[in-house]
Order: sequence, then C-alpha cells, then structure tokens
Amino acid sequence: MRSEQEVSGAIGRHADTVRRLCLIRLKNEADTEDIFQNVFLKYALSCVDFESEEHEKAWFIRVTLNACKDLLKSFFRSRTVPLDEMLEQPEQAAPDYTYVLEAVLALPQKYRDVVYLHYYEGYPAPEIGQLLGKNVNTVYTLLTRARKLLREKLGGDWDEG
Amino acid sequence: MRDELRKAFDSVHASRELKERTLERIRTYQEEKKPRPAPGLRRGLAAAAACLALALAGWGGHWLYFTPTAAISIDVNPSLELGVNRFDRVVSVEGYNEDSQALAAQLSVTHLPYEQAVEQILDTQEIAALLAQEEIMTITVTGSNERQRGRILSQVEAETAQSPNIHCQSAQREEVEAAHDLGLSYGKYRAYLEVLALDPTITPEEIQGMTMREIRELIQDLSGGQQEPQGNGNGQGNGNGQGGGHGSGPGWGGRE
Repeated sequence: MRSEQEVSGAIGRHADTVRRLCLIRLKNEADTEDIFQNVFLKYALSCVDFESEEHEKAWFIRVTLNACKDLLKSFFRSRTVPLDEMLEQPEQAAPDYTYVLEAVLALPQKYRDVVYLHYYEGYPAPEIGQLLGKNVNTVYTLLTRARKLLREKLGGDWDEG
Repeated sequence: MRDELRKAFDSVHASRELKERTLERIRTYQEEKKPRPAPGLRRGLAAAAACLALALAGWGGHWLYFTPTAAISIDVNPSLELGVNRFDRVVSVEGYNEDSQALAAQLSVTHLPYEQAVEQILDTQEIAALLAQEEIMTITVTGSNERQRGRILSQVEAETAQSPNIHCQSAQREEVEAAHDLGLSYGKYRAYLEVLALDPTITPEEIQGMTMREIRELIQDLSGGQQEPQGNGNGQGNGNGQGGGHGSGPGWGGRE
C-alpha cells in the first residue's frame, strides 16, 4: 500500500490525464468521478515499481481506459441509460476551443482514443498500439480515418505526424 | 489545428474538489484496511461463536421438539403408545408386543398433531375390526404437564365419545414408567394390577397377550369366582378362585 504522500503526488501528476481520458470515454459526471477515484485507489493499493515518469503515465492511461471499458460493458450499464446522459456534461473547455472538443467527442469511440493519445499526448502509433492492445496498422488506419473526419468537420491542417 | 486541439484539451482539468474527494476516499479506505489487533483471531472467534450459537439453537430446537412431554397409551390388543411433544405433535410410536410393533411399523403418525394420530389409529383396519367386535379399548393420557394432559384427555374423550367401549383416563408419569418396566402399556398395566389383586399368579407376559376385553372378562370371572366359590368347586374338584381363573383360559384362545 502506498503512502498518502505518494498518492497525493500521483494525483498532482496525472489527475488531468485521467480526467481527460474519462471525458473522451464517459458521458456523465458520476461515472467520471467513480472511475477517477477507482484509478487512484488502484494506484494506492498497487505495488508496481515504475521505471520512469513515462512508465507511470502509461500505466495510468492503460488503467483508466480499462476501467472505462469495464464500466461501459458492465451488465447494468449495458441495459440502462443514466438519467443525466441526455444532459451532456458541461465541458470546461475554453470557449474558443469548445467546438474542437465537441468535434472530437462527436467521433466514434475508437477514433477518440487515438486522436487524444496521438494529437494531445503525442504518442506515436506503435506506442498507442501497445496502450490500446491494438495492431500498429490498425492504429494507423484509425488515425487516417479520424483525420479525415476531423478535416471534414473542422477543416484546417492535420499533419500526418 | 493540432494546436487548437491541444489547447482545447489543456483547458480540461480535474477539479480541486474531485482531487480532494479522491484523496479522502483513499484515506478512508486505507484506515478501514489498517491491520487491527489480531483480526484473524477476532474473525475466528466470531465464526466459532456463530457456529456454537447455531449448534445450540439446533440442539435446543431438536430437544424441544423431540422430547415427549405427554404420552397417549392406546390399549386393546395390540397396545400402542404415542409420545407427544410440547407442541402437541406425535414424536414417537411404540408397540409393547409383536402385534403392536407390527401395527406401529405400518403407521405413519409421527409429526402429526395427536388428534389426527389417534384418529388414524382408530381408523386402521385392525383396530376398527376389533372395535366393531365390541372389544374394549382403554386410552390413557399421561404427562408431567397437567394442563397438557387435561387438554389431550378432553380432546381424546371428545373424539371417542361415540364409542361406548372406549374408556379414557389419565395417569401419573411414575405409574407409566412402572408399566414400561414390566413391558406393558399403561392401560394394560392398570388392568394387570386389577388382575394381580385377584390372582397373584398372573404374569405380565400373560396379560401382554390378552385383549382388553379378555382381561375385563378375566377380572369379572375372578371376582365372580370369589363371589360364587361353590358353583365352580364341584366341577373342578378342589378348585378354588385360582382354578376358576385358569378355567376360562381356553375361552381366550377361542376368540383369537
């Protein structure tokens, strides 16, 4: 079990990443809070030794995505619609960029992950493949299609890198 | 465009409240999980106590249910004795000779309310036939609990009110035990005592094989013999009251 200090440090380093992953995966505040707390609780209880900050970050990304996936495919979730799902959570994005966020969130689920990991976190396709447990070529395909969709919606320049 | 996306996500943060609630939850969780003094032992003790309580409850229930607090002795020949528990249910059926044991084996009256059990016994072909032949039946209720004894007696009396040759009575527990020591049901034991007063040579085994009517007739004969000693005396040489008693022996066989 990790000390409160370690947990507090990890929250300081990774809270935003976890929060953003919840944003692209989940649709309401209650689920977001659940997953957010569970991820850090898991960290508090885990004994994994991280080789580097990068390693730690990758761990958080993987754990968060898996927790979201588990929540979404849970029996109860798959058969009910939360009341607040229709009242999409208000986003805190700066007003100027809200439309970008909306465009990304409007993409099908499989594209949202790769867009976020590649364009925001800066991971190259092979690492995204590792994080998501997908074939590198699949990641490339997903990136290409996502770019096409975003270009259609937002226009502008979406480089290949 | 890439910059715009970066800026858009940059503006999404985990709120301070969310972080605080998370830390608080982890803190609570860790405090709950902190090792307490010998948790294994405490859990073990709790489990042992629970098991003991369950076992005691089970044993207590078993004892409460299966301990007879009253008995209903039904005597014709065969003679049966029903053990009745405090909940007025039959918990045992016993026969005191071979015929009775055979009859007891074919009955399924355990766990029935005693009224139903008595009814079922009176309805069996064997007993019904005996009653149709005007055999005498004695039903004796015994028990240490006076209230229960009175309740059962009045119920059984009501149930058998239509049959004039069924006699109901109640008795003390000790007398019943004395009867069992001789291998007799209580009704027969009482009859045996009556015969014994008139004929000291009578054995419990002889009584065991007789029907209640035969015993009644024997008692009548014996007391009649004493009243008219001369009448029998002629035919049986030096026969006395005792001789007269034996004289009616073949008569029992003839009825069987």
